[in-house]
Amino acid sequence: MIGALARTPATLRNFGNSQRATLAGLLIVAVAVVLTIQHVLQHDPSYFFQILTIGIADGSIYALIALGYTMVYGIIELINFAHGDVFTLGAFISLALFPVFGIAEGGTGYGYVLPLLAVAVITMGLVAVVNVAIERVAYRPLRHAPRLAPLITAIGMSSILEGAMYLWKGPFNLHYPDLLPITRLNINGVSIGVKDLIVLTMAIVLVVAFTLFINLSKLGKAMRATAQDRDAAQLMGIDINRTIAATFFIGAVLAGAGGIIYGLYINNVDFSLGFITGLFAFTAAVFGGIGNIPGAAIGGLLIGVIAAFNNGYFDSAWTEIVIFGILIATLVFRPTGLLGMRVPEK
Amino acid sequence: MVRARGLAVLIIAAFVAFACGGTSSGSGSKGEIDIATDLPVSGADASSGLPTQQGAQFAVTRAVTVRGYTLKLMPFDDAVNGVHDAQKGVQNVQAMLANKLILGMVGPFNSGVAKAEIPVANAAPLAMISPSNTNECLTQSLSYCQAANGFTPASLRPSTINNYFRVAAPDTFQGPAMADFALHAGPLPAGLGITKAAVWDDEETFGQGVANNFAKEFSAKGGTVVDRKSYDPKAKKDFKDFLASAKDKGAQAIYVGGTSATGGCIARGQMAGLFNPDIYYLGPDGIGDAQCLKDSGSMATGNMFATQGVSDATQNPAAASIVAAYQAAYPGSSNVGAYTFAGYDCAAILIDAIGRAIDANSGNSPTRAQVITAIAATANFKGLTGTYSFDANGDPTHPTLQLQQVKSGAWTFVAQFQQ
Repeated sequence: MIGALARTPATLRNFGNSQRATLAGLLIVAVAVVLTIQHVLQHDPSYFFQILTIGIADGSIYALIALGYTMVYGIIELINFAHGDVFTLGAFISLALFPVFGIAEGGTGYGYVLPLLAVAVITMGLVAVVNVAIERVAYRPLRHAPRLAPLITAIGMSSILEGAMYLWKGPFNLHYPDLLPITRLNINGVSIGVKDLIVLTMAIVLVVAFTLFINLSKLGKAMRATAQDRDAAQLMGIDINRTIAATFFIGAVLAGAGGIIYGLYINNVDFSLGFITGLFAFTAAVFGGIGNIPGAAIGGLLIGVIAAFNNGYFDSAWTEIVIFGILIATLVFRPTGLLGMRVPEK
Repeated sequence: MVRARGLAVLIIAAFVAFACGGTSSGSGSKGEIDIATDLPVSGADASSGLPTQQGAQFAVTRAVTVRGYTLKLMPFDDAVNGVHDAQKGVQNVQAMLANKLILGMVGPFNSGVAKAEIPVANAAPLAMISPSNTNECLTQSLSYCQAANGFTPASLRPSTINNYFRVAAPDTFQGPAMADFALHAGPLPAGLGITKAAVWDDEETFGQGVANNFAKEFSAKGGTVVDRKSYDPKAKKDFKDFLASAKDKGAQAIYVGGTSATGGCIARGQMAGLFNPDIYYLGPDGIGDAQCLKDSGSMATGNMFATQGVSDATQNPAAASIVAAYQAAYPGSSNVGAYTFAGYDCAAILIDAIGRAIDANSGNSPTRAQVITAIAATANFKGLTGTYSFDANGDPTHPTLQLQQVKSGAWTFVAQFQQ
């Protein structure tokens, strides 16, 4: 696993581990669960499964973005706020490529599989190149600067990307072609969308492939080594710049794929989409334990499910309050996240 | 591209207006009088704001002069990053106040912008006449205004005189009119004959107000609001959970209090597969534009209905020649918005009032306060969208609404209601 943050303030860690804080956290979770169960029982069980699939599908998209946040944080301890906009860029580029490959809404379903794959590969490649360029221009020169400096350039890059997309396509909502089948399966009275299943499968395949890559490949090993101790890794002959660039490349590939999957699922994108989606994904990464890859995946799924349940069973006006409440509660009570930040062995 | 073309036409029109003004008045001109517009004419809101500005421009172009004074339109844009912005609107009003030639303004487009602009313009005072503001609390002291919207007409007006007028029907008419239409037994155009509706809003002054008005009337007349939800337009892009909830509760229609700029029609596009095609999608004037149809994708069907705060000028035989002249000057369907001819009427009412104010001021250029007095005295002004007089609050005495339905990919007139 990639993982760092060796320098968690001792006070925070102590507070996070204190019994009182754990008890308080468990109590809040217990109350939330009881309330949810109470509401779930008032509705038809099939509704529960419907909301659950929506939540998991949304959550798997957050997970794809959260992985990019967590990887970059793991390796250079930078919260790359431009990552959400890289994700939007993936949606925009693929949208522009569709006409080139003759893909349009309402065409023959399965004939689109190959062109769609081609679009996905080109999009992921282009987005990755952009992200590597951002790293080269905006973050690498600041690698030894105080940590606030790259954070601010990250916010600046986010604004630049949003501005560029605004100039490219304008501020309108853009309709993203509805290419996935809209049929629904009926399993014992529970209606589940084929679309939701496809989205979920694509996301899971990507996350698993990515985890295997990090754990098994030589580059993955280099990334893990760099995350643990950059100087030592360099002494062992690892090209740090190349490894970090690879991290940005892979993070953007996932974000680009996320952008396409998002477009296919939500059918609607706009230039400012990355801001709030990025914040949700960032929350997911922190929730799961920033720097921790399975943590980001699980955090993403949980955030998606919590948002869907809140919208489906409770007052939707509370959704953002709940999500960002989780962010703050995690930072205060358990700064290492659900699965814990991976602290390198010393 | 559409925007660029619109702009080009506008520039040409402004040029023509300038040229005509120059030749016809010649050395006999007594000076210049300016009319300002404050509308969102860039970005997502431009699809409704720009055609409205063109309507006002056309009225000024046609009038050329008033009592020997050369007329000129001074357009302001209150959109920031493509979305209407109250703070920008206030800055625009301050810029208008600094220009002594401006005697009144047409606008703003959005109720949330009006809320911020009225106090500034009222203190000056500067006459405002809006083609499209529909929030009732801008003009009427209703018991719930302070609690629901955070303002009342009195709290927006630091001086005792009223400087704000509008030609659009307030939401106390727009929301309930759709509720009545939905409940009334069919067939079209009498009504839809449904009893269960889900009601959503976009958490804005306008959206929440009109959704509440719909819900109140729908419940009062025997319908059931089965699901009431609000969404943050910046964060909410996936409406599937809202849709699942509405379906679970048996909604036959969804009423969305919002605009297409706040994502009011994204949910319609996501309905495919989740709902039977016979589910109705209803909304106020905010969703009655081309952007909404794009967002709706394959679901832009005849089961979508929207009210519009003014009547349809093309249904008014007396307006036919001016409507035709406008369409010749601004060809193409994207140049005719729901409020284009309301924009024309607002400018025409303002010009008429300025003329009377000049007369009252023995031929001299009137003060802004005199223009306000003259607008308030407007009696049975025959506009393209109706015959206008104003009550003490600044509301039209007989507002008219139209109901539109999506037919072959465009919003089409169905019926008209007068209060």
